[in-house]
Amino acid sequence: MISKNAFTRFMTACMLVCCFLFSGVEVFAQKDQVPTDEAIIKNGESLFKDWGCNTCHAVDRKVVGPALAGVYDRRTLPWIYEFVRNSSKVIASGDPQAVAVYNEFNQLQMPNHDLEDNDILAIMAYVKNTEDNPVVAAEPDPNVGGEVVAEEGAIPSEYVNIIIIGLIVVLLLILLVLAIMIRFMQRYLRDKKELSEDDLEIVEEKFDLVAFIKSPTVIGIVTFLVIALAAKNVIDGLYMVGVQQNYQPEQPIAFSHKIHAGDYEIDCQYCHTGVEIAKSANIPSVNICMNCHSAIKTDSKEIQKLYAAQESGKPIEWVRVHNLPDLAYFNHSQHVNVGQIECQTCHGEIQEMEVVKQFAPLTMGWCIDCHRNTELNTEGNGYYDKLVEMHNKVNGEKNKMKVEDIGGLECSKCHY
Amino acid sequence: MTNRLKAALTIFTLAVLASCTAKGDDPGLEYAPQMYHSVPYEPLTQIKDKDRGEWLSNREDGLGEFYNSNPNNEYEQNVRVPVAGTVRRTSNNVLPYRLGKDDIALAAEIPNPLPDTPEILAEGKRLYELYCDHCHGNGKEAGKVGVVFAGVPSYSSPAQRNLSEGHVFHVITHGIRRMGAHGSQISPEKRWKIVKYVKTLQQQ
Ligand code: HEC
Ligand code: HEC
Ligand code: HEC
Ligand code: HEC
Ligand code: HEC
Ligand code: HEC
Ligand code: HEC
Repeated sequence: MISKNAFTRFMTACMLVCCFLFSGVEVFAQKDQVPTDEAIIKNGESLFKDWGCNTCHAVDRKVVGPALAGVYDRRTLPWIYEFVRNSSKVIASGDPQAVAVYNEFNQLQMPNHDLEDNDILAIMAYVKNTEDNPVVAAEPDPNVGGEVVAEEGAIPSEYVNIIIIGLIVVLLLILLVLAIMIRFMQRYLRDKKELSEDDLEIVEEKFDLVAFIKSPTVIGIVTFLVIALAAKNVIDGLYMVGVQQNYQPEQPIAFSHKIHAGDYEIDCQYCHTGVEIAKSANIPSVNICMNCHSAIKTDSKEIQKLYAAQESGKPIEWVRVHNLPDLAYFNHSQHVNVGQIECQTCHGEIQEMEVVKQFAPLTMGWCIDCHRNTELNTEGNGYYDKLVEMHNKVNGEKNKMKVEDIGGLECSKCHY
Repeated sequence: MTNRLKAALTIFTLAVLASCTAKGDDPGLEYAPQMYHSVPYEPLTQIKDKDRGEWLSNREDGLGEFYNSNPNNEYEQNVRVPVAGTVRRTSNNVLPYRLGKDDIALAAEIPNPLPDTPEILAEGKRLYELYCDHCHGNGKEAGKVGVVFAGVPSYSSPAQRNLSEGHVFHVITHGIRRMGAHGSQISPEKRWKIVKYVKTLQQQ
């Protein structure tokens, strides 16, 4: 009996020691529990990518969430399993570590992942492997992604200048050669004795610049040119009264269409939401900017103005660029949605402008010109089927229906 | 003498005319300002200076001709946010969406009211390219903005692959975690069309 008792006691002690050792291992040497098996690491890598952990985490640096290198040292494995599966539950339970990291990351919530323990362990294996054998430039740096290679389209303007200068030089050379040739001819002719008086006079004739300038013909031509130019200027100037073409006011925030619509290819409609459905194109309110700037360029001075506006609720006072007089009516949806006209036709290459500039004159003549010359986009638009049929009956197939044919020149369509 | 005067006069006129044209911060000269400036409140314009255009004003309230602001609104704006709960009259029979940001579990149960037709799918694709693809790219790899924004998931990853149409609709409307709300930009009907297209991206 005694021996049996001693045996039990011994076993219990052993168990206790084992438990103690085991728990010690669990707390202090978790790293060793992360497997180093090739296959598991491979599996972890694909899980890391498939489940999109890589969109928010990198091993060696902070992205959206913390760098994962060494989590298995900071936390226990069961904690990691729970956190990855449902982080909000762990945070809600008041776990101090979870709450601390949650607050450190501005209370960003990590999505839930329906993963088994061993899947998460495999991910940790991949993380540990990457930590131990850092890969040089394996992943593209997200900060570099914005870089855009300059597009090569038309000939750059410097080349045009060089070509023009080259042409001028060639012309001058030709003139020089001609002058030299005249000189030689003169000398040759003078040396020839059998020239008549008249011919000799022509050869010897001197060019008198002053007399030439003072001749009535030249004065007449010059006066005419000056008056014509002045008149053209005056008339042009008068035409430009009330036309705001080239108006390019400075805006309260240095918002650049070149960055947003050009480099990053954000569609116009993402911001100008009314274009297809309304008269007005709309200028985006702060909440639309915040969809991106909640996380992009957060410490830029210009972006701080957005945060201030969002906090106070005070709208940003953009300076209006395009402004038709009150007597004219213009509707975007009619042109963009029904007419399928590109923004650039009327607004110019906005996606290349740092500051918006009024491209078109927005005069009545400009509207009318386009209405006279533009064919209607009638395809797939049931409204026009009958009209097109009737138009073709009267005017023949070749004469396509233009905007003027549906009343695009009627005063009351644009004036109210 | 008179010749010089004439020349000076011409140059002066030219200079004055040159200054009429708009450039930079200067909008140029108007010749019939009373017909250009709106009398009613203009939604996209706001002139808060009470004395602007006083020199030609014949307004009864004695303010400048060009003053165009509504003093009864916050920040004297000419536009107001509609009263909470306002329902559009032309909503194409799509019911107003009343679930709040946190009701995402409820939202996931809502079926898509639109039928499966190629036209709706094509329209959904077009709208997706307007509103989503700069972040979500082709649904697998993040777009140009998405790369800078970071944390944009692929629709076909195991966590997103099985999200229901109601869930995606709710995500567009109210946003989720780091993604912002796009409800103010996209009408409910268009959102459902986008959802149809996202459904195909989840399967890729
Ligand atoms: C949408 C972005 C996002 C995705 C996707 C994501 N995480 Fe996170 N993760 C975070 C954020 C943010 C935190 C910081 C804690 C917080 O704010 O809740 C975090 C924290 C963690 C932590 C705790 C780190 C620490 O130092 O305590 C672990 C572990 C973790 N994530 C693992 C994963 C794994 C594994 C995956 C993929 C299955 C994953 N995460 C996917 C955003 C994300
Ligand atoms: C990220 C949002 C955003 C995008 C994308 C965008 N815009 Fe803008 N746009 C603005 C803001 C903000 C303003 C007002 C400030 C300014 O004039 O620069 C503006 C102003 C304008 C104006 C001048 C408005 C006025 O006052 O008359 C035009 C025209 C315009 N945008 C056209 C376009 C076109 C065309 C595109 C697509 C190629 C485009 N925008 C893309 C945000 C955007
Ligand atoms: C779809 C995403 C998106 C939206 C919406 C957006 N931006 Fe941007 N914005 C960007 C990106 C991307 C950059 C470039 C960041 C970089 O260069 O790294 C940027 C850069 C800027 C910058 C330059 C910051 C600096 O200091 O270099 C300003 C200013 C700016 N945005 C203002 C705005 C305003 C105002 C709005 C709202 C009308 C807006 N943005 C809406 C994505 C967006
Ligand atoms: C047929 C010519 C035309 C086309 C096409 C066009 N616009 Fe306009 N846009 C105008 C005119 C004219 C105004 C001035 C409207 C006014 O003052 O009432 C204007 C004004 C604007 C404004 C200033 C705000 C407003 O609504 O008055 C923005 C922003 C704008 N357009 C964006 C766009 C975008 C984005 C597109 C392409 C989707 C586009 N426009 C296509 C002619 C055009
Ligand atoms: C680039 C060409 C273009 C310019 C510039 C243009 N329009 Fe138009 N406009 C069209 C087209 C195309 C239509 C026909 C759309 C359709 O199919 O209904 C149209 C239709 C209209 C209509 C409706 C006509 C009707 O009978 O239903 C009005 C009103 C109008 N435009 C006003 C204007 C005003 C005002 C301007 C100048 C500020 C202007 N447009 C400048 C191309 C243009
Ligand atoms: C396609 C649209 C359109 C049609 C059709 C049209 N107009 Fe205009 N009209 C305009 C626009 C836009 C302006 C403003 C031009 C500006 O600001 O320079 C204007 C300006 C004017 C002005 C000058 C007002 C001022 O103070 O500058 C007069 C007068 C006028 N229109 C008369 C007419 C008459 C008469 C008709 C019919 C024969 C007509 N318009 C048809 C678009 C139109
Ligand atoms: C400014 C960039 C941006 C734009 C624009 C954007 N998203 Fe997102 N989206 C994100 C980010 C970031 C996440 C990840 C959020 C997180 O988990 O923290 C996300 C997540 C999602 C999810 C997954 C939600 C979940 O429950 O896991 C869906 C579905 C989605 N977006 C659909 C859309 C659709 C549809 C659009 C277009 C209307 C869109 N997004 C536009 C950035 C964007």
